[in-house]
Amino acid sequence: MATDSRVIDGFGQVSQTAGTVFRYLLLFATLAGLIALTVLLLFVANDAIQPLTADPGWHLVFLLTLVVPTLSTVGYLLARARAALSVGVAALGLVVVSTMFAGGIAMILVDIIPPITWAGYVLTFAVPTVALLAARRAVDLPLLAWLPVAAVVYYASLLGIPGPLGSVVGLEQTVPSVAALFSSLSVLPADWLLLVVTFTLPVAAAVGSYVRPAGDRVAAAVGVGGVAVASAAALSSSTVGLTPVPATTLATLVVVPTSGYVCRTVLSRPRDRIGLALPAVVVGGSLLGAVLVRAFEFAGPQSWVDWQFLTSAHSRAAIDAGLYPAIGGSILLMVTVALFSFPLGVGAAVYLEEYAPNSRLARLIDVNISNLAGVPSVVYGLLGLGVFVRYFDQPSGTVLVGGATLALLILPIVIISSREALRSVPDDMRRASYGMGATRWQTVKNVVLPRSFSGILTGTILALGRAIGETAPLIMIGAPDVLFSLPTEFSAKVSAMPLQVFAWASLYATPEFYQRAVPAGVVVLVSVLLAMNSVAIVLRNRYQNEQ
Amino acid sequence: MSTDDIEADLTRNTENAPSELLARLFFFVCAVLSVVTTASIIVLLVSEAAKFFSVTAPLVGFAGETVSVVEFLTGTTWQVNSGEFGVLALVSATLLITVGAAIVSVPLGVATAIYLSEYASRRARRILKPALEILAGIPTVVYGFFALLYITPVIQLVFPDTGTFNLASASIVVGIMIIPMVASISEDAMSAVPEELRQAGYGMGATKFDVSTGVVVPAALSGIFSSFILALSRAIGETMAVTVAAGSQAAFLQPWNPASYLEGALPMTAAMIQLLLSDITGGGLGYRSLFAVGLTLFALTLSMNIVSDLIAQRYREEY
Repeated sequence: MATDSRVIDGFGQVSQTAGTVFRYLLLFATLAGLIALTVLLLFVANDAIQPLTADPGWHLVFLLTLVVPTLSTVGYLLARARAALSVGVAALGLVVVSTMFAGGIAMILVDIIPPITWAGYVLTFAVPTVALLAARRAVDLPLLAWLPVAAVVYYASLLGIPGPLGSVVGLEQTVPSVAALFSSLSVLPADWLLLVVTFTLPVAAAVGSYVRPAGDRVAAAVGVGGVAVASAAALSSSTVGLTPVPATTLATLVVVPTSGYVCRTVLSRPRDRIGLALPAVVVGGSLLGAVLVRAFEFAGPQSWVDWQFLTSAHSRAAIDAGLYPAIGGSILLMVTVALFSFPLGVGAAVYLEEYAPNSRLARLIDVNISNLAGVPSVVYGLLGLGVFVRYFDQPSGTVLVGGATLALLILPIVIISSREALRSVPDDMRRASYGMGATRWQTVKNVVLPRSFSGILTGTILALGRAIGETAPLIMIGAPDVLFSLPTEFSAKVSAMPLQVFAWASLYATPEFYQRAVPAGVVVLVSVLLAMNSVAIVLRNRYQNEQ
Repeated sequence: MSTDDIEADLTRNTENAPSELLARLFFFVCAVLSVVTTASIIVLLVSEAAKFFSVTAPLVGFAGETVSVVEFLTGTTWQVNSGEFGVLALVSATLLITVGAAIVSVPLGVATAIYLSEYASRRARRILKPALEILAGIPTVVYGFFALLYITPVIQLVFPDTGTFNLASASIVVGIMIIPMVASISEDAMSAVPEELRQAGYGMGATKFDVSTGVVVPAALSGIFSSFILALSRAIGETMAVTVAAGSQAAFLQPWNPASYLEGALPMTAAMIQLLLSDITGGGLGYRSLFAVGLTLFALTLSMNIVSDLIAQRYREEY
C-alpha cells in the first residue's frame, strides 16, 4: 500500500503520522453522531426505567440467569459458529418483533374491531371472491363483461340489495349485506373460535408454506399444530390472567411464526441449529429470573414504562398518565397510511419504470417527486388543513384526514425506494417474459413485482416509520393533544404517540411530566421505531444477498 | 435504448387489450397524483397567502384585514396579538439554527463520507450505513426533548446565562439529525469518482491521505456541495425539534453575533405550530399569516432543492 513507510533510494521518507491521525479522526467523526445518540438514549432510558431503584438482589438474580448465560452463549457462537449466531439473533429478533406486533393487533381486536366484526369483513370479501372465481371457471366471458359483474357482486356483499343506492330511489332493503346476515345469526361461535378460523388459519397456512421447502409433512404439522396451539391458548388463557382474544392473537402471531422459523432452520440448515440456543437461553433466563425474583421477593425497578403506562389514558397527574389511546391511534394511522401510500406509491413507481421510462412526462414527474421529497412536513400539514379539512369539509383531526396527510408526506419516499427496487430487477427477466408472449401487465404482475417485492417492502416500512414519528402535520390538521379513548372508526379523532409526548412536554410542562411521562413515552416510541428499522434492515440484507 | 424497442415490439399487439389499458390507466393515475399534490400545495399556499397581503387581496376579491408585503418582509417584530407580522424575526432564528446545524453536520458528514467511501472495509460499511440511517429515523420530537432535557443543562454548565430554551441546543440536535443526509449524498459522489484517478494518484507516489483529500474530495466537490444545500433545506424545514427546544418568544437576533445562540427565539416552523396551537379563529389574520409563512418556507426550501439539483448536474465532472 502507498502508506507504507520505507526509505527508497532517491525518494524521501513518507510519514505515516498524518495519514494515521486523519484516519482515526474520520472514524471518530463517523461514530460521533452515533455515540451522541446512544448516550442520549441511555439517559432517557435511565430516566424512564430507573434500573438503580431495584434491589441489588434483583440485579444479581438477572445477572446470573439472563446476562451471564446470554453473554457466554454469544461468545461461544462468535468463536465457533458465526453463521449460527446470525440465525440465533434472527430468531430472537423474530420473537421480540412479533410480540410487539401481536400486542398491537390484540389491541385492535379487543378495542377497535371485535372478532365478530372482523369475521364479518372476512366473509364479506371471501364469499363474493369465491363465487366469482367459481363462476369464471364455469362461464367464459371477456374481462370487460366480468368487471361490472364483479362490481355488482362485491357491492351486494358489502352493502346488501339494493343497498344505499336503492334507498336513494326509495326501495326497501330486501337482502341484507353479508356482514349483517352473519351478525344476525342466532347462534354465533365464541369470539376465539371465530378468530381461529378467520385469522389463525391464514397465518398458519402462510407459515406452513414457508416451512414447506423443508418437507411437506413438517409443514402440515406446523400448520395444524399452530391452529391447535392458538385454540389451546384461548381455552387455557384464564390460567395466565388473559382473556381468550389476546391469548389467541399472541399464540397466532408469536408462537406460530417462531416455531415455523425454528422448524425450517433445524431441518434445512442443520449446521446452524446450535444458534437457536441463543433465543432459548434468553427466553428461558428471563422466565427463570422472573420466577426467582418473585420467590425471593426482590423488588424490581420503579419503571415508568409499565403495564399501567401502556394501558391507561392521559391523566392530569403524571403518575397515572398513560399512552394507550395514543398507541392505538398510531396503529390506526399506520394502517391508514399503508393502505393509501403502498398501492399509490408502488403504482407510480411501476408507471415510471415499466410503462414510460423515457417519456417527457416521466421526466417531469421525476423532478417533481424529488422536489416533493424535500418539502417540509409542516407544509404537508398545511395541505391537509387547507385541502382535506377546509376544502373537502372533513372534520378536523380524524384518522382519515391524518392518514391521508401522512400518506402524501411519505409518498415520494415510497416511490423513490420502490423505483430503486424495480430497477434492480434484471432486464433479461423482463425480456424472457415478453419472449414467452406475456403482455406488459402480465410481466409486471408475474415477474417484476414478485422479484422486487422485498425491496419495495423495505422502503415502505422505513417510510411508515417516518410517518409514525411525525408530529407537525397532525398538529396542523387539528388532531387533539389529549384523547381519553381509542378511536374506533376512520372518522374518529385520533392522537398519536409523538403528539401525546409533545403535549405532555408543552401543555403539561411540570417537572413530574418531564421526569416520568415524557421519558417513558420517548422510550416506547423509540423502541417501536427501532424495531421497524431493524425489520427493514434485515429484509434488505436478505434481498441484497438474493440478488 | 434497444431494449425498449424490443419490449415495444413484443407488446404492441396486446397493449390495447382491456386489461392492459386498465392496468396502464391505474399506474398512470398513481404517477400523476404526485403532480396533483405539488399543484395543490402551490395553489393552496399562493391563494391563501394572497388574502394576507394588501397588494394581492383585491386581486382575489378578498376584503378584510391585510398586511403590506414590505412590512411582512422587512419587519423585525412578530406579535400576532398586536397585529405585527415581521417575518424577519422568524427568519433570523431559522437562519441561526441552520448555520449552527451546518457547523455540526457539515464536517462530521463529510468526514463520515470520506471514511465510508475510502477507508471503511466492506464489513464496516455494512454495519455503519444502516446505523447512521437510524440517526435520521428517530422522530424529531424526541430530538427536541434530548435538546431540552439533556443538552441544554450541559450548555448551561459552560455558559451559565443560557436560557432554558436556546438556539444552541436546537442547532446541535438538528445538526445530528442531518448528518446521514450529508454523508450519504457526499458518499455517493465520492464513490462515483473513477478508480483510475485514485490509481493515478498512487502512481505519482501519493499516500492514501493525499489521494483522499487531494483527488477524491475535489473531484466530488459538486456532489458534496449539493448535499450541503439539500441538508440545510432539511434543517430549515425541521419543525418539532426546534418547536420544543428553541422557545416560543419571537425575537430578532443578530445572525452574526455568536451570543445569539444562547437565547431563545421562534423559528418559522415553530411559529406555524404556535399559531395553530393558539386559538386562531378560522379565516382571521392569524390563520392567513400561517399560509404566508408557509409560502415563505416552501419557496425557500424549494429554491434550495433546485439549486442543489443544478449544482449536482451542471458542475458534475464528467469522466
